[in-house]
Parts: sequence; structure tokens; C-alpha cells
Amino acid sequence: MTFALTSFKKDIARWRQDYLATLIWISIPLMTGGLITTLMGSDVKPHGTLLLVDQDQTFLSELIVGAYSAGELGELLSVEETGFDEGLERVNNGEASGLLIIPEGFATAFMESEPVTLVLRTNPSQTILPGIIQNVTEILLDAGFYAHQLFSDEIETLTSMTDDPSDAQVAAIAVAIQNKMESVAPKLFPPVIEIEIIEPPPAEPSQPLALLFMPGIILMAVLFSANGLAGDFWREREQGTLRRIVFSPARISEFLAGKALAATVVIGIVGGITLVLGFLYHGIAWSKLPASLIWIAVSGVALFAWFAALQMLFSNRKTASVFSMMLVFPLLMAGGSFFPLAVMPGWIAAIGRLSPNGFMAGQLTTQITASTAWAIGLQGWLIVITGAVAGLAICAWRLRAGFARA
Amino acid sequence: MPYSDTVWSVVMLNVNELSKNYGDFVAVDRISFSAGKGQIFGLLGPNGAGKSTTINCIAGLLKPTSGHAAVAGHDVVSDGKAARGNLGVVPQELALYEDLPAVENLRFWGKAYGLGGPALEQRVTEVLEYIGLNDRAKDLPKEFSGGMKRRLNFGCGIVHRPPVILLDEPTVGVDPQSRARLFDMVEAERDAGACILYTTHYMEEAERLCDSLAIIDHGKLIAQGTVEELRAKLGAHDVLQLSGHFPVESTKQAIAALIERGNADLEFLAQEEDSITLTLSNASQHLPAIFEAVTGTGGNVTETSLRSANLETLFLLLTGKELRE
Repeated sequence: MTFALTSFKKDIARWRQDYLATLIWISIPLMTGGLITTLMGSDVKPHGTLLLVDQDQTFLSELIVGAYSAGELGELLSVEETGFDEGLERVNNGEASGLLIIPEGFATAFMESEPVTLVLRTNPSQTILPGIIQNVTEILLDAGFYAHQLFSDEIETLTSMTDDPSDAQVAAIAVAIQNKMESVAPKLFPPVIEIEIIEPPPAEPSQPLALLFMPGIILMAVLFSANGLAGDFWREREQGTLRRIVFSPARISEFLAGKALAATVVIGIVGGITLVLGFLYHGIAWSKLPASLIWIAVSGVALFAWFAALQMLFSNRKTASVFSMMLVFPLLMAGGSFFPLAVMPGWIAAIGRLSPNGFMAGQLTTQITASTAWAIGLQGWLIVITGAVAGLAICAWRLRAGFARA
Repeated sequence: MPYSDTVWSVVMLNVNELSKNYGDFVAVDRISFSAGKGQIFGLLGPNGAGKSTTINCIAGLLKPTSGHAAVAGHDVVSDGKAARGNLGVVPQELALYEDLPAVENLRFWGKAYGLGGPALEQRVTEVLEYIGLNDRAKDLPKEFSGGMKRRLNFGCGIVHRPPVILLDEPTVGVDPQSRARLFDMVEAERDAGACILYTTHYMEEAERLCDSLAIIDHGKLIAQGTVEELRAKLGAHDVLQLSGHFPVESTKQAIAALIERGNADLEFLAQEEDSITLTLSNASQHLPAIFEAVTGTGGNVTETSLRSANLETLFLLLTGKELRE
């Protein structure tokens, strides 16, 4: 096996000269992953600004302002009070999700059941947040209507007062409101419909979308590097070095073993860089790294062997290269590099899992999301190792059967 | 064919009734020759004559259809690994790692032939100096000129100090300076005791370098011997080439009449629309008669060329065509 080591060292030395290819193998998946994560996979909640022009400045108008800032809605929206002209200009410039104008006399009109108009202007360039603002405003108005119906007597008492109410009057109104709340509470809380609550089976914890993209992105780097390295058999043939190997007493099997070993190391480095970046970005436990790294290196050499075997079946390098590239992109699509298998329709995902890289990405997903450091099963390892050995055997046959002699 | 140890101490390369067929096409047809230690054996022939096929059979790249070839006593088929171990091949096309420094190329091919350790390093240093690339040892061949690549290609073929070297048209596309350097290297290997099989279609290379020659055409050996033996076959003949315009049939008849009239050693080598090539002894004395015969048929001579016969003439004589056709 001495010559296998020589062949390995030779290919590693040649690979070091071709740093541009390595940069491409790494950067394209990283850029793709970065873009996809930014566009679809981010866990950051949307956040918008609601501009509010409160021309009424009453207790009731402040209640509305407070409603937009309370609870989970407050996490989505920042409410900023502003003047009419400035608010209009800002929402027209797209600097806010919406502008709500509470007109002067709003509280009085509400108390006296007179018509009043709230003006809501939304940002047409946004879809989700303006919709939320509109729905919340409609709910608030509905709630106001029912509150008005329920507490009409108390509101009438309040509006008929010419002076500030005394403590006794306030207490009497509060007691009346409390009594009404208690009388309607059984109908409102809880609902009159009895619901039998059935505990659902404990669901698996859902994974963030960006994490589900990660194996596909890593397999993209592995596919690119495996395909690129497989083309080296044609390069060696065209520069005459394969023939020279046949002239020598060195064994083709050792030459091939050295090449496969070099491919394992190069793919391990390329995939390893993307893997480490993924681990850092998602905060995955480092204990899962060794198995993940070995998995992508072994998967990579299997893909390398099959790409090489396929390329060696063609009669010229150009056809081999075109066919190989034509194969890479459907594999990337089917194997979940652009859309994770987890979010694909079931039947497409089933096909994708049958693709070599889809299977490899699926196993890698298991590895990085499981609670154990070595989560890929024996069956998975056997499949990929058998695939690598079979691919290399075909390569050896092609080299001996005439590819190296041509 | 069994050989005694005594014979093999001299005969390093033996080809016996070697044939290679591709279906019905016979690329090499039962050729036999042998070459000894410290000898350069030339295999001459035009493109497509079967030279490279013969080399590829000896090198183990092609399996002969019939016949045998042996390198240093090892049959290239039944004892292929040992045969290849004694062989250094410098292929016609460059066979280098363009993205591997020159010194690494030499190391790699040395290791492919089983060299290692200090012996390899010493030999690599020697070869780098020998091929004149010691100052460019760490540079990539893709940055080299064509001549430098040819020299490195040669170095890779001899780095393991092979007793038998196959050189397949090593000067094709090489500038005159690099060609002269390659000749020096080939002669140095010969002087060091290597047996060299040198294929070429340049007759002047063969005449300069080769101790003995075989001329091959359409896969068959048509002449074989030392350069002197082959020259002797031509006697003291001159080659006369007349350029102009000649009617084909009547000119042939006029030349045949000259032969019948007592010019027995006059031979008709070739005729085309615009040239006639003849061989005869003391050509200058017969020029007036030849001119008279040719112009008598209506031919028009515009240029006359007279030279001594060489191996090219022999090839023309044997095959009726130029070596470089």
C-alpha cells in the first residue's frame, strides 16, 4: 500500500494548487444557505411600528393606545404617538406599518352612542403587520360596542354628571359594573359549551426551519466537491498520466485507493468547514461533530466514486462533465438542498429520501437533531460504506478495462 | 523462445513475430527485432505505420494478438510487472502533472517504479541537473516552455534508471535547441548502458542516433540492419529529382527505354504531375540523356536536384512514397 500513500500525497499536493475550486465548493452552499436562512429560515419575529395620532387625549383614547402595546401584540408592534402631518408622511414613506388617527371628541361620541370615525391608514408594501393592526382595531371596536350595551346605565350616569363624581358615586358605579360582570361571567368565562379535552400524544419537538436546511446545504458542498474531484480521472487521462501509470509496475488499485483517500480528506475538509459553521450558527452540541464529520466524509467518497464511475463511462470529457453537472442539480433539488425534505409534500419528500444525497442529508438531520452523540444507525453506515465500495469497484474496473489505456 | 542468461546479458529487448490486430485491420504484422545493452535501435516509419502500436505492446498497454515481446528476459504478457519494472517509457504525448512541481513529478514517477528514500532523492537531484531544470525544480510544469516540458517528460521516463527505454517520437513539436539537448540525453543514456528503442519518422534523427534500424510500413518490417548495412543496400546511388510538368505514361516509357539502352542501375522511384524522382549511379554523367528522354515526351524541366542517397531514399525505394507522407 506504499504507492497508495504516494498517490494520496500527490493528489493532496495537486488539490492545494486548486484553491479556487475549493473556495467555490464552499462558498456557493454557504451563500445559498445564508440567503435561504435569511429569507425563510429566520426565527426572528416580524416587528413593525404603529403611528398613533391621538387628537382626543382622553382616558378612552389612551385605553386604545394601551391595547396595542399589551401582551404578545406588544412584541410585534411598537406604538409611537406622533402628529398628523408627520405620521402621514412617515407612513407614506413606508417607515411604519400603519397610522391610526383617533379624532377629537371620540370618547364623548362613544359615551353618547353617536357616530364617530377612526381612521386607519396601512402600509401597502407590507402584508402581515398591517393586517394584524386592522384586525385588532376591529376587535377593539366590537369590544367597545358590547361594553357600551352592557354598561349603558353606568355610562349614562357618568355622562349626565356635570361635576366630577364623588367617591360614593364612583363606588356605586364600580359596584354596579362588578355585579354585571359577575352575572355575565358564567356565560363568558368559561364558555357554556363543555369541551372534553383529549391529551394529544406528545409531539416531537419541532425544529427551526433554518436547522432543517443545514444538512441539505452541507450535502450541497459535499456534492460539488465530490463531482469536481471525480473529474480528475478525465484530467489525468487527458494529460497522459493515467497511461504512464499503466506503463509502470504500480498497481491501479493502489493508485485508485490513494485517490479515494485524498477525496475523503478533501471532502471532509470542505464539508467540515460548512459543518462547523452550521454547528456554530445553530448552537449544536459539539459532541455530535465527530459522527457528523465522519458521516459526510464517507458519504462524500461514495458520491465521488459514483460520479467518477459515471464520468468514465463517457467517450469524452466534455460529455462526461455536462452529464455530471446535469445530474448534480436535480439531485440537489430532490435531496433537500433548496427545500428541506421536512417541508416538502409527502410524496416528493419520499422520492427525495431515495436520492443518495437525500438519504445522506436525512441521516445527518437525525445526527444533529438527536440527543445522542452517535445517532446514525448501523444500517445507515452499512448502506453508505457499501455504496462507496461498489462505486470504487466500478472505477477500478473501468480503469483496467481501457479507460486508463486510451 | 527461451534465452540463456548469457544471451540476455546482451539482448535487452526482444520482439518475436509480434502481431496486433483490430478486427480485420492488421496494425502490426509479425515483426521481429532485438536490441542489446548500450544500443539505440531505431524504428522508422511514416505516421500510422505501426510504430506506436509496437511500443504500446512492448510497454504492456496493448495485449499482442500473437507473438511475444520480452524486456530484460521478462515476457511482457506473462511476466508483465517485472517487464514494466525494467522499462522506462517516454511517450509521444506529454505525460506530466502540470499542477505538481517538477521535482514532485520526478519523485512521484520514481516511487511508481519502486524507488524510495535517499536513493530516490539522489536520483531526482541527478535527473533535475541532467535535464537542466534544477533551477526550476519547484515550479509547476504548466509554467514551462514546450522544450522544458519535453525534457521533464524524458526525465520522468528515466528517473528509475531503467535498463530498457522506449522513446516514442520524442522530438515531435520540439524546437531545434531542445531537440539537440534531447539527443545528448539519449546518447548519454546509451553510453550509461541503456538499451533504447527510438521511434521516429525523421530519417536524419535515425541516422544520427541509431546503431541499428528497422523500417516499418503498414505494420510490416520492410528492412532491418545497421545504418551502414542499410546504406550499402543503396550502393553508390544518387537521387535525381526533376521538377516541372511531365506526361505520366510517356515519361515512364521514355525512362524504361533508357534502362533498356544500358542504364541498368537507373531506377524509377516516384512520379507525380510536377516531379520525377530517379536513382542511379554517377547521375551527373547521365543528365543529358535523361533530359533528352524527358523533354522528348513533351515534358518541361524547371528545376533539377541531385543528392547522395540516404535512408530516406531507401524508404522511397522500398515503399514508393516519402517517409513523411
